Amino acid sequence: MILYVVGRLLAAVPTLLIVAIFIFGLVHIAPGDPAILIAGDNANPEQVDKIRERLHLDRSLPVQFGIWFGNAVTGDLGTSVYSGRPVTELIAQRVEPTFLLALYTIVLTVIIAVPLGTIAAWKANGWLDRAIMGFSVAGFSVPVFATSYLLIYVFAVELRWFPVQGYKALSKGPVETLVSLTLPSIALALVFAALIARVTRAAVLDVIHENFVRTLKAKGMGTRRILVTHVLKTAGVPIVTVIGIGLAALIGGVVVTESVFNIPGIGRLTVDAIVRRDYPVVQGIILFFSLTLIAVNLVVDLSYALFDPRVRG
Amino acid sequence: MKSIHLAIAAGLLAAATPALAQDNVLRLRMNGDINTVDPISTTNYTIRNSSYLIYDVLFALDENFEVQPQMAEGVEISDDGLTYTITLRDGLKFHDGSDVTAEDAVASLKRWGKADGLGKIMFSKLASIEATDDKTLVITMAEPWAQVLPAIGKISSNIPVIMPKRLAEQDPSDPVKEPIGSGPYKMVVDEWVPGSIAVYEAFEDYKPRSEPASMAAGGKQTHFDRVEIINIPDTATAVDALLVGEIDWMEEVPGDMLPLFEGQDEAQAVPALQSGNSMQLVVNHLNPPFDNPKIRHALQLALEQEPFMQAINGDNTDLYKICGAVFFCDTPFASDVNTDRVLKRDAEAAKALLDEAGYDGTPVTLLHVTDIASHDAAYSVLKPMLEEAGFVVEEQITDWATVATRRASKEPVANGGWNVFFTGWGYIDQINPMTNVYVAGACENGWFGWACSQELQDLREKFAVTADPAEQKKLATRMQEVTHDLVPYVPVGQIFPSQGLASNLQGYIDSPVPFFWNVSRGE
Repeated sequence: MILYVVGRLLAAVPTLLIVAIFIFGLVHIAPGDPAILIAGDNANPEQVDKIRERLHLDRSLPVQFGIWFGNAVTGDLGTSVYSGRPVTELIAQRVEPTFLLALYTIVLTVIIAVPLGTIAAWKANGWLDRAIMGFSVAGFSVPVFATSYLLIYVFAVELRWFPVQGYKALSKGPVETLVSLTLPSIALALVFAALIARVTRAAVLDVIHENFVRTLKAKGMGTRRILVTHVLKTAGVPIVTVIGIGLAALIGGVVVTESVFNIPGIGRLTVDAIVRRDYPVVQGIILFFSLTLIAVNLVVDLSYALFDPRVRG
Repeated sequence: MKSIHLAIAAGLLAAATPALAQDNVLRLRMNGDINTVDPISTTNYTIRNSSYLIYDVLFALDENFEVQPQMAEGVEISDDGLTYTITLRDGLKFHDGSDVTAEDAVASLKRWGKADGLGKIMFSKLASIEATDDKTLVITMAEPWAQVLPAIGKISSNIPVIMPKRLAEQDPSDPVKEPIGSGPYKMVVDEWVPGSIAVYEAFEDYKPRSEPASMAAGGKQTHFDRVEIINIPDTATAVDALLVGEIDWMEEVPGDMLPLFEGQDEAQAVPALQSGNSMQLVVNHLNPPFDNPKIRHALQLALEQEPFMQAINGDNTDLYKICGAVFFCDTPFASDVNTDRVLKRDAEAAKALLDEAGYDGTPVTLLHVTDIASHDAAYSVLKPMLEEAGFVVEEQITDWATVATRRASKEPVANGGWNVFFTGWGYIDQINPMTNVYVAGACENGWFGWACSQELQDLREKFAVTADPAEQKKLATRMQEVTHDLVPYVPVGQIFPSQGLASNLQGYIDSPVPFFWNVSRGE
């Protein structure tokens, strides 16, 4: 088992290197010069040149990559071209809201989606199934910003149960944090619940016609117990995989939700950095994403062992 | 299980009373984000606005646009008009606890003089600037120049802020990292998250002047313990946050969101007449076809302002003004002279002029910016107008970062250069012939577009040495005449944005630059 984990981790190194080179090239190919954006509207060319020099933007690409990579290995991701703050600090500031939002969303998603998907499979092709799948298609099709504005209008502006925007750090109390993340988590959970309910239904349907289920029924076991303890456990692998992919997507891909609800997360940091051609931040984030993705995949792979004894061998 | 769910839900609801802005915190949403604490290293207006919290200035403009002492106790000008002796007020302190000295002021002005447009002109005419003791600085000009006090009292970018000498010695292209000023608020660096929030606390050692506040001048009384500048990226969310009291002020409410304020008690949208902005189509004089003066004239004839303003402001006709004046309409230097060239559209005349000029169909490349809504709308209107007047147009869809980079290029369009781009300038920068970039005529040393006119350069020199308002007005009028003949840009209208203001705020100062002293929370 330990060998397996170590092997997986080592295999990630070349992946990271390729990703790093690829991203570095891509970011620099995009037109737009950060020095000019920093200098402001009535800067003269001389001022711009000085800024470019200070940021090493006047060096050749391989040299710039070398400088960056050398520092990255020692944990120094450089400083932001835009704000002059260390990239590691900028990412660290954004990790808490992003991870908590992702976690809250996944918990809500699982609470909503797994029971719904299971029920849909159990009542396959009945009206309940159709209703659940209808809800699922709707959840998936309505753009997340539309749901977000609707949630804000109803629960923040009209009812005033939740704040319109903003994030309250954990250090100010977990209840406030939960409150500030509730609406964005619901908005996201509706989308992911739709996806996971469909996958759960398909996975459960595959299992529900197996012989062992018929045997359990014949033995007179209750439906609920069959579904929860036996069917779901057997159908767990694809469900956990999709949840894992969902979690990874949530960490990087919730820019719209973060923007609408003003959650200072990594997604927004990414988009802002790209728009501003803030090369060190973009590179740092991609590296961070790659590491996160590898970690999530590893956890997902390891969790298969819980559901499938064959993996344990 | 069920009861646990209910308990969680009940707990959430109980705690879910939104943080209303009843505490002694002022929460602001500016158009941009706080990415630096150095207003000398950038001309960005958001940085300028936030810098007024941290830093103080020697002189500032009052509501009559007259220069008044701020950190300065006073100034003595020698009879020959060459020597300015400025004394500092007693008891001025920086946020790091040190005293403000004349040495700090000299170093700060020198740094500003390397970055600011007007500052550079001033320093080119300067014989010396030195601190003669802890509280006195002496500026000696090499030749008479009437703009010394207006220059060091200017209230828009770059503002001549005073910081400690050890920081002011840094090159202006290298932003200062430590926010140490002597202004009414002190930045809380630990709570600063670039892209999200910047926090300021009232500076207890700040000594406001005794006069009442008047625009940037007078006593800067702080009535809030804390000011937070929150970067809410989504404008609709910001409006909602203002309407439920989560924030107190937003710099700009787009026209299409004004109806949301109707019948609301919590906040209002207030036209910010002093924060007017004007929008221009800047023309590159180096590249064909606009290297030809006749074709530039044809461009003027091809355009008119109304369609641009409608595309940007919709039905809100009170949010804009059709204006051909170079120094804004309704200002001391406003004029009608030569505005026919930019206000009257005549597509047929434009075509005839293009024929006469031998226009060979060289395409006008439009770098259509889509990530700024007003620019996006303006480009969409521009293309058909140009085509109707006989121009060949080639459109490329792009973003502002790309245009901001390309506009600095003097290369042909094919090598990364450009023909035209839209931009906006604020009222305060445009009304002054010394800071309006379009009347510089400075050729390749000038601002983007590189329009060239010896006469404009001479007019500005003359303007800078006269203090006589009638003479200034005459020179400014001539500048406008020459400028519209030269076509460094085509004006496409003057816009008055609405600011969002919480109803319980009192004493908010209407000014071209938003200030957050004097303002307090009423009932």
